Amino acid sequence: MMSRVIKKFFVASMIMWMAPVAILYGFNNHIFPGTGQLSSSSQTLMSGFLAVVSVNLVIVLYIIMAMKETGSSEHQPDPAFLAEANASIKQPSNMTTNDDTPAREKVE
Amino acid sequence: MLYTICQSVRNQGSYSPISCGLWVALHQLRLLYSSLSAAMASSWSRALTQVSPYTFASVGIAISIGVSVLGAAWGIYITGSSLIGAAIKAPRITSKNLISVIFCEAVAIYGVIVAIILQTKLESVPASKIYDPESLRAGYAIFASGIIVGFANLMCGLCVGIIGSSCALSDAQNSTLFVKILVIEIFGSALGLFGVIVGIIMSSQATWPAKTT
Repeated sequence: MMSRVIKKFFVASMIMWMAPVAILYGFNNHIFPGTGQLSSSSQTLMSGFLAVVSVNLVIVLYIIMAMKETGSSEHQPDPAFLAEANASIKQPSNMTTNDDTPAREKVE
Repeated sequence: MLYTICQSVRNQGSYSPISCGLWVALHQLRLLYSSLSAAMASSWSRALTQVSPYTFASVGIAISIGVSVLGAAWGIYITGSSLIGAAIKAPRITSKNLISVIFCEAVAIYGVIVAIILQTKLESVPASKIYDPESLRAGYAIFASGIIVGFANLMCGLCVGIIGSSCALSDAQNSTLFVKILVIEIFGSALGLFGVIVGIIMSSQATWPAKTT
């Protein structure tokens, strides 16, 4: 099972690969409407710069998504940990003295 | 200098076998040096201009993708190992610090973009025109473009990788530092961008001679 973080990263990586290759393919095979009469050198320049701009656009979008996500999900403590912490406060004190001796043996 | 050595050898008086041998050896060395320099001057320049421009172009394409991926992989493994190690104690850093890995991957994609552009620039010319100045120029332009992009991306990937690794470690300690280190990382990834821009401009003027006879 993939967490949301890895799925977002995977989608961004795939788009980062496919968008510039698609732009280059489109310019070389004259798929885009206005590119019929471009000379070879300006076709190279346009396709190259548009591909690089598209990669940077995907990077900026990913940065925005990543910064927005961590702002909201930071303040929720894990519920299992919270339950265990509450339970250990209410435990009687003789349970804690039995736990000390195995801990001291481990230190040696 | 050779002349003074010969003079001093000859002025020893008696022509002992050692001095004769030394004089002959020095004379041979002088002849060898003059013939070698004349031969080297013509054969090196002849060899370089007789290498086919397609060799240079293909090596340029190989360097552009190969060395870019080298830089990107280096950066990703430096940043990835720090990120995974730091995420043991602070698992919250993983979602933001994958930005460093995305920067390194962009470096590899720049190499792929330029390699695709360069290989569309390769055209075949008739055999009589392979050593025309114009087709030599096209071969050298593709070669240079590949080297520019490859080595710029190599250093950019390395730079972003090292910054990303310390970004992960400092974010694990103190999350207010992340945005400041991200600014440094953006400057680092601009280096690869410079190389790609110059490489694309360089390759756009690689025109081979026309095929008309």
